[in-house]
Amino acid sequence: MRNTVVDLFDVVKCYPGVRALDGVSAGFAAGTFSAVMGPSGSGKSTLLHCAAGLDRPDSGQVKLGGHEIGRLREPKLTETRRRLVGFVFQTYNLLDSLSVWHNVLLPQRLAGVRPDRAWAREVVRRVGLSGRENDRPAQLSGGQRQRVALARALAARPEVIFADEPTGALDLATGREVLGLLREAVDELGTTIVMVTHDPAAAAWADRVVFLADGRVVAQLDNPSAEKVAAQMTAVSAR
Amino acid sequence: MIRLAIGSLRRHRGVYAGTFLAAMLAVALLAGAGMLLFSVLTAKPPADRFAAAPLVVSGARQVSVATETVKHKKEGKTKLKRKVKNERLTGAGTLPADLPARIAAVPGVTGVVADAAFPVQVAGPDGMPLRGTDGAPVIGHGWRSAVLTPYQLRSGHPPAHGEAVIDADLAARGRVAVSDTLHVTTRTGEYSVRVSGIAAPAGRDGLAAQGALFLADGDVAAVSGLAGPTAVGVFARPGVELGGVVGDAEVYTGDDRVRADLPGALPDYVGPISIFGFVIGITAFAAVFVLTGTVALGVRQRLRELALLRTAGATPGQLRRLLGLESVVLAALAALPAAPLGIVFARVVAARFRALHAVPAQFSVRVNLPVMLLGALAGVLVTFVAARIAARRSVRIAPTQALTETATAPTGGLVPRVLVALVTTGGATAILTFVPLGGPLGMGMSFVSSALLLCAVAALGPYLVRPLTIAARPLGLAGMLARAEYRRVAALAVPLVLMFGINATMLLNSTLLGKLTEQDQVARDAVATAQVTGPGGLPLSTARRLVATPGVTGAAALLPTRVIAVKGGKPEDYPAQGLLAAGQSALDLDVRSGAYAADGVGASEAMVRQYGWKVGQVVPLWLADGVPVRLRLTMVYARARGFGDLVLPAGLVAAHDPSGLISTVGLRYTPGTAQRLLADFPSLRVTPAVGAAATGDASEQQGAWELMVVISLGFTAIAVVNTSAIATASRRREYADLRLAGATVGQLHRMAGAEALVTVFAGLLLGAAVTGVVVGAFSTAQDGALRWLVDPATYAAMAGGVAVLGLLAGTLPARLLLRRRGLATEA
Ligand SMILES: Nc1ncnc2c1ncn2[C@@H]1O[C@H](COP(=O)(O)OP(=O)(O)O)[C@@H](O)[C@H]1O
Ligand SMILES: [Mg+2]
Repeated sequence: MRNTVVDLFDVVKCYPGVRALDGVSAGFAAGTFSAVMGPSGSGKSTLLHCAAGLDRPDSGQVKLGGHEIGRLREPKLTETRRRLVGFVFQTYNLLDSLSVWHNVLLPQRLAGVRPDRAWAREVVRRVGLSGRENDRPAQLSGGQRQRVALARALAARPEVIFADEPTGALDLATGREVLGLLREAVDELGTTIVMVTHDPAAAAWADRVVFLADGRVVAQLDNPSAEKVAAQMTAVSAR
Repeated sequence: MIRLAIGSLRRHRGVYAGTFLAAMLAVALLAGAGMLLFSVLTAKPPADRFAAAPLVVSGARQVSVATETVKHKKEGKTKLKRKVKNERLTGAGTLPADLPARIAAVPGVTGVVADAAFPVQVAGPDGMPLRGTDGAPVIGHGWRSAVLTPYQLRSGHPPAHGEAVIDADLAARGRVAVSDTLHVTTRTGEYSVRVSGIAAPAGRDGLAAQGALFLADGDVAAVSGLAGPTAVGVFARPGVELGGVVGDAEVYTGDDRVRADLPGALPDYVGPISIFGFVIGITAFAAVFVLTGTVALGVRQRLRELALLRTAGATPGQLRRLLGLESVVLAALAALPAAPLGIVFARVVAARFRALHAVPAQFSVRVNLPVMLLGALAGVLVTFVAARIAARRSVRIAPTQALTETATAPTGGLVPRVLVALVTTGGATAILTFVPLGGPLGMGMSFVSSALLLCAVAALGPYLVRPLTIAARPLGLAGMLARAEYRRVAALAVPLVLMFGINATMLLNSTLLGKLTEQDQVARDAVATAQVTGPGGLPLSTARRLVATPGVTGAAALLPTRVIAVKGGKPEDYPAQGLLAAGQSALDLDVRSGAYAADGVGASEAMVRQYGWKVGQVVPLWLADGVPVRLRLTMVYARARGFGDLVLPAGLVAAHDPSGLISTVGLRYTPGTAQRLLADFPSLRVTPAVGAAATGDASEQQGAWELMVVISLGFTAIAVVNTSAIATASRRREYADLRLAGATVGQLHRMAGAEALVTVFAGLLLGAAVTGVVVGAFSTAQDGALRWLVDPATYAAMAGGVAVLGLLAGTLPARLLLRRRGLATEA
């Protein structure tokens, strides 16, 4: 078993009226592609936010790259996060006023490190955006924007990339291209990816699937196929 | 549609709060300024001294000039056009001395009272000057006039020769009792009179805007220097016709009777009309400017929602209507609290102006519903038009933009922007080039030109600001983001430009005028050894004795008055001085051609330029009592600021101006004379060398300007903060995205700070450019000297204030935004 990059121990997160996470424990191994699945409202995004240090659990522990992030205060938390973590969201979350190139370099600039331009150029090439560096996000299609977001996440060489429904706003073919790029990042670059999705076909690209329902981990599946994931999902939803 | 509009209003509370606030303040300012102007235009004299007389006859209180122009029409026809233009007199002419007797002979007339009204300076037994309520002047009359009001004796007896009756209000203010002695000064001389009685109108202690001093009827002619009555009160059976006997004189009845009173005894509402006209001009400009910008910014904040509506099937026309309707609902709602706010604003401004003596003490704001509605209507209209203009481009947004997460308005619109900028810049250039800014229109026109230039800056905002954001380069990453957001920087910089441009222009120009006036004053007086003044002024006879004092080698006594000249068929009134000069020159007017002559008239360069006069020419003028004179122009002088545009013989002025008192006497004398002067004239003040304060008129003007700057400073400051708060809405997403990209809160603060710095830099630079052009032109027009800063301290204070406000407005909203946790949910 490979060592884990992200570990959650008995994490509880409550919002007024709901226990969004109700004692979740999970570990995500380095260099693997994990999917978190569950019906809408089951706590997937909350899990990801807590795991990535975007949000603090009410109780339980979250370890990120060996750091117990519940102990970190701002701005230490942000600094740790930007060193270790990259993000890809359904809504892209690029800065409209900056060009593609500046968006890709932004996290490293914010971290105050000298951007690795050669590597950045390489990831931009890999995601197929060579020649579009000076465009604004607004001038790109949804799939292209998600590629920018991925390139941005990869450019900083994070330990782990968290992706929340990265294909949610994309059509089937474009979504498949983005998933292929994520898979490539894991296989060729050794990146760790934790992806939230509710789409069994998307989850099938992962090495392992964690199923959530009502804030609890209810099942896990290794080397999933779309059919097995779909069947498990039906079972989870029926509970 | 209205449902959608109201729903949309609910959802975008933040953005709308800003627009609402801007509309509310704009309407309040418009309504308030409108009410001020309305109140001053419809102001009624506070009291009628002729209340008891059904008819009052008086000489003209204005100079009327009729011009007849013959218009040649086609087919050889001609048409005669008669135009009459008037200018109010500051004094009052007299009626023929035999007129009362002639009126008395008219059948049906039961009584006739000849009234003489003349300003008097009165000092009480303790030597303190006596003034009426709110510093109202004291007017002298014969005791006979008391029945016109009527004043009734409360104690004592009617005045005999050398005695006087004063009203109860004056008596109480000056703690004067019957048999006290008063010191009375008029243009004919100084008198000691014994108080024989105290009188008052029924139910009051005195009249609102004038104190009354009644002399024995036999003393009036000598003390007042009047050749006849200034008015005649007539008691008659109803329907009696006086037209046959009064000749040119006017017969007044009812409310008009008050017009027969001495102009100086009535509050002057003419000056305030132009002041409040200016207040309206400034507030209207600032209100429209700010409101337009705010509404446009608000629309831009909602591009995404507009795009979503487009995907939902809304046509551009529907969106336009939606935005228009929304703005009308919003402005109409804003008008509700704005109306009472406008009343408060008007009251506060009126109180300040009263305190500055820029408006009469009796002035009060009259709340008027139509004016308030008009202000509200104007506000709604401006909001609507601004929304429609802003919507023009925004609604063309492609529906697909809604699907992609970001929405940007189609760019373009450069052509209309450049056009607006060209037209406004052209207008400003024309004004600065062709309008004589050194003249009376200078201040107003320089304001208009700065307003036009500000419009040009607003139109070209993003294009002007973009190159300026280069200043952000040294700020690193934070600066890079500020440069990328140059449109937002421009939107925030424009209110700063407005704030700096408009206020600095007004403040610097008025400071410059004040300075130049003071310089002129100092330079005029430099040749005199001392300036002599008396409480309330001194009669010409006293000035003559002063001049004749042994040891005095030169003198220049000044008697301020107003004189009317006619330009192009329109009588205009000018500040002027009566001058009594003797011996060595004690007044340096910087004479440019001709020379002083005791029986001639001197005119300022500006006056000569306007009227095309030449030295040696005989010029027609009207004196304060409306009497026309023809005098030979003997001198043209340059040093006219704070002095007047015409110089006339002092004796002539004293005979025709009812106040007719010398204000200051510049003296040159041999050493040791000062002691003698003090001994001979114990009531006078001798101020060696310079140091006399600028004339009251100038400092009042300055005060009024400063108050206007305060008003517009307040409003533009609110606009700056407001705009910044609205723009913050667009930052919410940006900050969340930046946080997700790894920015710490501290970094976000630094970014906001960098953007604020760039904004302030751009705002100040553009503001300084506008100010520089206008102030430079204004200054050059004044005395040929080009000045940019005028007063470095004022300039620095203005710039510093704008910078501080800009920095606060740029960083505080970010601080508030970032205080809240939960960044993931913001994304
Ligand atoms: N910021 C929030 N405030 C209140 N409730 C929230 C918040 N975020 C999520 N929730 C609630 O927590 C539960 C889990 O939400 P989420 O993790 O977003 O689910 P998923 O991503 O699986 O759809 C839901 O019931 C949701 O309503
Ligand atoms: Mg979710």
